[in-house]
Amino acid sequence: MARIGEVTAPVALPDALVRARTRASLVPDLLVEARRVVNNVIAGWHGRRRRGIGENFWQFRPYVEGEAVARIDWRRSAREENHIYVRDREWEAAHTVWLWADRSPSMLYRSSLAEVSKESRALVLVLALAELLSRSGERIGWPGLSDPFAARNGAERLAQYIAHAEPSAERPNLMQVRRFCDVVIAGDFLDPPEETMRWLDGLARIGARAHLIEVADPAEESFPYAGRTEFRDPETGERLTAGRAETLGDEYRKLYLARRETLSRWCKKLGWSYTVNHTDRLASEALIRVHMAMTAETGMGR
Amino acid sequence: MNFLPLSFGAPMVLWGLIALPVIWWLLRLTPPRPQQETFPPLAILARIVKREETPHQSPWWLTLLRLLLAGLVILALADPVFNPRERTAMGGEALAVVFDNGWSSAPDWDRRVATATRLVTDARESGTPVILALTADSPSQDIGPFDADAALERLNAAEPRPVPTNRPEIHGRVADALQQLPGATLALLTDGLAAPGDEAAFQELFSTDLANVLWVGPDRLSSVALTDSANEPRRFTVTATRAEGEAAPRQVTAYAADEQGRRVAETVISFGPGETRAMGEMLVPFELRNDFSSLSIDGENHAGAMRLLDENSRRRRVGLIAQTEIDQAQPLLSPLYYIRRALSPYADLIEPSDPELTEAIPELLDRRPAAIVMADVGTLPDSVREPLIEWMEGGGTLVRFAGPRLAAAGNDDTLLPVRLRQGQRSLGGALSWSEPQPVATFPEGSPFSDLDPPREVTVSRQVLAEPSADIVERSWASLADGTPLVTGAARGEGRVILFHVTPEATWSSLPISGTFVEMLRRIVQLSRNQGSLTTETAAPGGRLAPYRMISATGTLVPPGPEAEPLVPGEKTDVTLSHPPGFYGSEEGVLAHNLLAPDDTLAPLSRPAAPVATAQASYAFDSSQPLKGALMLAALVLLALDTLAVLWLGGFLSRRRAMRRAASTAGALAAALVFTPMAPDSAQAQTTSPQPEDIAAIEAISSTRIAYVVTGVSSVDAVSRAGILGLSRFLAEKTALEPGEPAAVDIATDELSFYPLIYWPIDAGAPMPSEEEIARIDAYMRQGGTVLFDTRDQYSSAFDSSASVSPETQRLRDVLSGLNIPPLEPVPDDHVLTKAFYILNEFPGRHRGSPLWVQSFIGGEDSGDRPVSAGDGVTPIMITGNDFAGAWAIDDDGEPLLPTIPSDPMQRLYAYRAGVNIMMYMLTGNYKSDQVHVPAILERLGQ
Repeated sequence: MARIGEVTAPVALPDALVRARTRASLVPDLLVEARRVVNNVIAGWHGRRRRGIGENFWQFRPYVEGEAVARIDWRRSAREENHIYVRDREWEAAHTVWLWADRSPSMLYRSSLAEVSKESRALVLVLALAELLSRSGERIGWPGLSDPFAARNGAERLAQYIAHAEPSAERPNLMQVRRFCDVVIAGDFLDPPEETMRWLDGLARIGARAHLIEVADPAEESFPYAGRTEFRDPETGERLTAGRAETLGDEYRKLYLARRETLSRWCKKLGWSYTVNHTDRLASEALIRVHMAMTAETGMGR
Repeated sequence: MNFLPLSFGAPMVLWGLIALPVIWWLLRLTPPRPQQETFPPLAILARIVKREETPHQSPWWLTLLRLLLAGLVILALADPVFNPRERTAMGGEALAVVFDNGWSSAPDWDRRVATATRLVTDARESGTPVILALTADSPSQDIGPFDADAALERLNAAEPRPVPTNRPEIHGRVADALQQLPGATLALLTDGLAAPGDEAAFQELFSTDLANVLWVGPDRLSSVALTDSANEPRRFTVTATRAEGEAAPRQVTAYAADEQGRRVAETVISFGPGETRAMGEMLVPFELRNDFSSLSIDGENHAGAMRLLDENSRRRRVGLIAQTEIDQAQPLLSPLYYIRRALSPYADLIEPSDPELTEAIPELLDRRPAAIVMADVGTLPDSVREPLIEWMEGGGTLVRFAGPRLAAAGNDDTLLPVRLRQGQRSLGGALSWSEPQPVATFPEGSPFSDLDPPREVTVSRQVLAEPSADIVERSWASLADGTPLVTGAARGEGRVILFHVTPEATWSSLPISGTFVEMLRRIVQLSRNQGSLTTETAAPGGRLAPYRMISATGTLVPPGPEAEPLVPGEKTDVTLSHPPGFYGSEEGVLAHNLLAPDDTLAPLSRPAAPVATAQASYAFDSSQPLKGALMLAALVLLALDTLAVLWLGGFLSRRRAMRRAASTAGALAAALVFTPMAPDSAQAQTTSPQPEDIAAIEAISSTRIAYVVTGVSSVDAVSRAGILGLSRFLAEKTALEPGEPAAVDIATDELSFYPLIYWPIDAGAPMPSEEEIARIDAYMRQGGTVLFDTRDQYSSAFDSSASVSPETQRLRDVLSGLNIPPLEPVPDDHVLTKAFYILNEFPGRHRGSPLWVQSFIGGEDSGDRPVSAGDGVTPIMITGNDFAGAWAIDDDGEPLLPTIPSDPMQRLYAYRAGVNIMMYMLTGNYKSDQVHVPAILERLGQ
């Protein structure tokens, strides 16, 4: 029986870049994003003298019916008899989007059901996002590889950085991430959810917003194995033999989906997005969803 | 295979062990090489798989198990035998087994049989005929030749015999049989004891045409046998013998048992180095010795170790003769009185039926007594004198007492030990200066020498012996002045003894002293029974029937069929027809013992045989075929292996999973089946809480007092206000804080949430339907209580039948549809009167109507108890006092209605009645137990 999964070679960055551009060019919903990002870019990194996302006080304005009550500034409101005020903040600084793709050995996995390896897909997604964001003037960065930068050719520069870095299983240090930054993390999130949560908890604490893209191989999800099978973990090299793999399917799927569910619920709670992209599906799907998520969340204001 | 007592039936199969490495290699491969898959979410998978198998091969212990299994099977197929016995060289055309089953074969009989069985079994394998002869069995036994199976059966039925072997005859028969079977193997299974005629017997056997001889004998003769016993005056001796050639010192314990088999005495018999005969003595009282029935040796379970004792070695028969019997009215003057008293505990006393000497003495002599006591008998008639002398010289003991007759009679050299002077000597008489003489110390050499001389005894008259040369040595006792008191002389085997005083206390005080008893006992012990008493027990023809036989293992058993009667008096050899044992009957028995006193146990020497002789010794067949055990072990391992494989394959855990899945599927199927039938209920379950649920939640979230909505608005309003008032009062005075009053419609509302339902009866309200009444009934039966209030006290009494108010009539109508228990007005000791307040009455707006509750059956016995306790809380209360009217308050908390009569205390009491009712509802008889607390504490001593 032919093997279902294999470990592929790390993807060639230029190839990924090309594919990313292709994908990025296919994203139809770019305008919305572009508009927001354009505003962002125009704003630069000084105060925009208008209300928006920021750290500094901008103005008090009367409370409008429908706004969240939590935003009412009660101290100010108490001074007046008739009005209730809401504290607005100044829209400040450019938006920084940190991009990161997991390049650990497990990402190199590609099953016969999939078109590409997970790493390839993750990089394509990240680079496509970099392309999109750069095009709209956002500052992008790769934690551990580069500081945030704004450039027209952001995707190329990012690809360059990546190409020069050794693929490693280590998770990046996210300490550079500041408040209001967006973080896009593409990976397979196969670690126990608790571990992932612990890692990303810092982000939640800082106040950054993360967009998690789970790149999943269809074989990982459907578990199409049968018979006596020895499974090997590409990261740890651990081996596990199942006498009759097909008997494990149900339980495995339950656990696998439970992990995804846990993470997704956690992200939802934090106001983050969690996108699943299967490698047998188009990258564009995920791209659109992430964009939607970024746009929609921004629209709500923070 | 020298280091292990192991042999193999098919040693070639052991070469199969070489295949074990191959099997090992094959086993290593048995789990097929798994499909290798890279799988990133291994961590998730690992949580289910739980490391089922080591990756490459089956676990080492499983391999070991299987190798062991294979090895065991190979070993088992090789037919191993543990402790194999060497096969006896069986060259013969036939097998003749001559088996000694005499008395000495009993201790290790099983081993002997095992040896013989082995021989016969070997013969069965070779199919040779078998001659089986048992040398202690009867010469006419069937000795074959048999086929081996029949021989085995006979062998199993054979048993040791308590008699010596009879080799000459049996060997003769075997030799005859062997004439027909030339070239036979002769197996001599001897008991190692030589017997007369052995030499000839063996030669007769060897004279036949034999192929070879197998001589099996015991390694050593360790038996100890009892050959003799003697009841001597001071001791009881037991003589034992052991086989010649046994040189080591040895001690055995012999014991004597009475007729019931109880052990009454024991002694140690020590064989010195090289001694084959040893004696032990039992120093036990004479009375006890008389109880001895048998002697045995501890630990020796064969017939030779048991010796039987009959009457002859036990009690002596003593004949008593007195010439004249004094008047029976004066027994103390009877000459035989003291003798009888002295001897009867130790001896059988025989008295002649006829006092005439010519009749009496032959009669006594017929009984063959050990001793005859003559009290003052003078001259004996000649006709009896001769038999008496003959008896005495044959061993009898004649004891004579002096007296006037003897003194008067002439001298008799034979029947008197000494010559007597004529007449008698009187001491201490009125005309004498001499004093009555005391008894001197018993002289040395006298049988009485170890007795203490009776200092208190004095002799005032006696007969005197003529002085002679041997008077001193004949004197067994003498007086202080040297004159003999007791003299004795041997007469042939027996002796004659003379007491020089009378046997009664006229001449001396000797007969009334304890020494007299001792002296007579000593004399009786010296005597010997002259012949056994057989006349009464002998069978017709003078033969004694067998009574109790000694078994081969040395116990007493009922006689077997071979035992024949014994002719007493003749010397009878111990044979199968006369086995050792008791002969006779209950009245008297004769012991027939296996060994004579001078028998020895001579070892049997192996005679020279003309053909090849092999020697062996008796042994159990300890060879054990191990095939079955090994196969069993292999099977067990196989089962273990199967279990292990199942376990490794996760089958066991999957079974659980399958069960779970099955139950889920079953539930699903059930749901599918039932869903169409009950769509509404299914829907109800899935939807969010319904209005009635909310009501139910409210009803149970706090304790609420309910009232029945009658439909008459004024009544309902009062009810509500009343319950509200009571609730406030409760919250104020007690720990209970009831919720809002609950208005219930008995037709629709769930009643079980409320501990108490107040039901004001109003004639204007519609009559409750049957269903409603049924609901009330169910509520009451499930533990709820309904408080009916007719509110008509001032107009009519509840129980007055003359004028019935409409409310009471309505109540009766309602109650007629309910299961109402017997009712009574609240008795004084009811817990309602003490549940919170102590109350004597339960007024409402009105006063005087009793509160009716369930009658507590069995309350009569509660006499002095403060509160009658019952498990049940009354399900119904009826009053006419209009509780709600008294309780009712308006919004400001002011009373709504006046009491009748208008008395603030009455309202307070009404509230208190309500509190008590509520407490009673909620606590039940707990309060009645609480009433006892002071009494309990007092009892506990607090």
